[in-house]
Amino acid sequence: MNINEIKDLILGILQTTGVFNFEWKLVIMWGIGLLFIYLAVAKEYEPLLLLPIGFGIFIVNFPLVPLMDFSEDHVPQLIQFFYHYGLEWEIIPCVIFLGLGAMTDFGPLIANPKTLLIGAGAQLGVFVTFTGTVLAGFTLKEAASVGIIGGADGPTTIYLTQHLAPQLLGPNALAAYSYMAMVPLIQPPIMRLMTTQKERRIRMKQLRNVSKREKILFPLISVSIIALLVPAVTPLMGMFMLGNLMKETGVVERLTDTAQGALMNIVTIFLGISVGATMQADKFLSYKPLFIFGLGLIDFAICTAGGIVTVKVMNLFLKEKINPLIGSAGVSAVPMCARVSQSTGMKYDKSNYLLMYAMGPNLAGVIGTAAAAGMFIAMFN
Amino acid sequence: MKNHIILIQVILLIFFTSLAEAEDFLGAPIIPYKETVQKTYKRLKLLTNLSHDDAVAFYRDAFKDEMDIKYRDWKNATYIEDDGNREWHSVTISKETKGGTTVTITKDSWTWIFGMLTFRFLGVFIVLSVLFMGMKISTAIILKVVGKINGENV
Repeated sequence: MNINEIKDLILGILQTTGVFNFEWKLVIMWGIGLLFIYLAVAKEYEPLLLLPIGFGIFIVNFPLVPLMDFSEDHVPQLIQFFYHYGLEWEIIPCVIFLGLGAMTDFGPLIANPKTLLIGAGAQLGVFVTFTGTVLAGFTLKEAASVGIIGGADGPTTIYLTQHLAPQLLGPNALAAYSYMAMVPLIQPPIMRLMTTQKERRIRMKQLRNVSKREKILFPLISVSIIALLVPAVTPLMGMFMLGNLMKETGVVERLTDTAQGALMNIVTIFLGISVGATMQADKFLSYKPLFIFGLGLIDFAICTAGGIVTVKVMNLFLKEKINPLIGSAGVSAVPMCARVSQSTGMKYDKSNYLLMYAMGPNLAGVIGTAAAAGMFIAMFN
Repeated sequence: MKNHIILIQVILLIFFTSLAEAEDFLGAPIIPYKETVQKTYKRLKLLTNLSHDDAVAFYRDAFKDEMDIKYRDWKNATYIEDDGNREWHSVTISKETKGGTTVTITKDSWTWIFGMLTFRFLGVFIVLSVLFMGMKISTAIILKVVGKINGENV
């Protein structure tokens, strides 16, 4: 073996390492991945999601890693497998909704059903952003999938995007979950801007107690109405209401525990890492994903404003006024938005506890976002 | 002489083929037609001798490599809609055969987008309002029934 052959041999070995396939773009993606991990660990912003998402972004942006492609025999590699069966088949969003349903108490919404309208008003940004996205040259389907980010509902965003514009799944999911995590930063300035001191101090009437019968009946009535009016989102809302029915009946405690605990945790791991892994440098570092990120923020702000405006309009007709700070909770990041309403309200009146009142529009926001998604799916299917 | 005739035929064929390919309205191909019924900058209505099925087949073939095109089979027409961002918005092929098939191509318009968005946004309100009504009614029924049962027990 001469020196040239030895050189070729070493070169051949080196070519199979990541070092020789390195690109500067990857460093940017590592930075983004590490930022998400930092936000999760140091700031504790939605760590259950941002940690696996950040790690997914980080790990998939090393050259030659066999994670998100297919093998020569067309067998999906590890994360591609989770992505394909979990997200492309739309299983994970529905299972997450099952878990969410099993964790949700619809009592505040049942006790004050008019807050459902706030959940509808908070979808304003979804439709406004649609227009902006079309103007920017996106197709109508892409515009619908970007618009839904403002609803701040991760599973619904994934569900709709997978239906209409699967090529945008990574950026859309990332934007939705990022803005969900940043609710405490984004919403308070908008809430202060759109309300007066007097409005922020409005005290609402004590919510009535809701009976078990009502709570059991609610998921059945809701799913029937949604299945009739927007059948396209029945997989999501059906699972949501099944989880809730399991919880409220109390006869399947083992199933409820699994749905809200182990099962939810398992799918969250797969969801996070799959979403993160879609952010490969060559796909993410282009104008569309960055534009989506920028537009998502505006979308989210308009949705927040839409909820507050809806409360103000309702107050024109109501005897018992609603505190407009709970309007921002019409955005469906549960229960983060409701907590933000509570903390913002307490800055102006320390004994005004808005949390339970804000849970009504917050849950209505989940249903409203799903309804908006259903409208879009129906439009294009 | 024979060679010349063939040559002229080939030239004519190429000429007319290229003309046919070039003929479009806002980027949507125009079907061979016998009469223009209406033509404005945002709408073209043609009458063709082709049957409805042949006209649909013409457009299916023309759009076979295009993305984001949706076909809707309506009672009176086949509606081809662009969900991308092309200049044209729809091609409607009538199923009525009196005097031929009419094909209508319309321009993409913001009126359609705004109208559609407004209706969908109102749709969300309607869905949640119906749910609101459903909850109100069921709550009223439950409270009444529970009140009756409690009354009987007393």
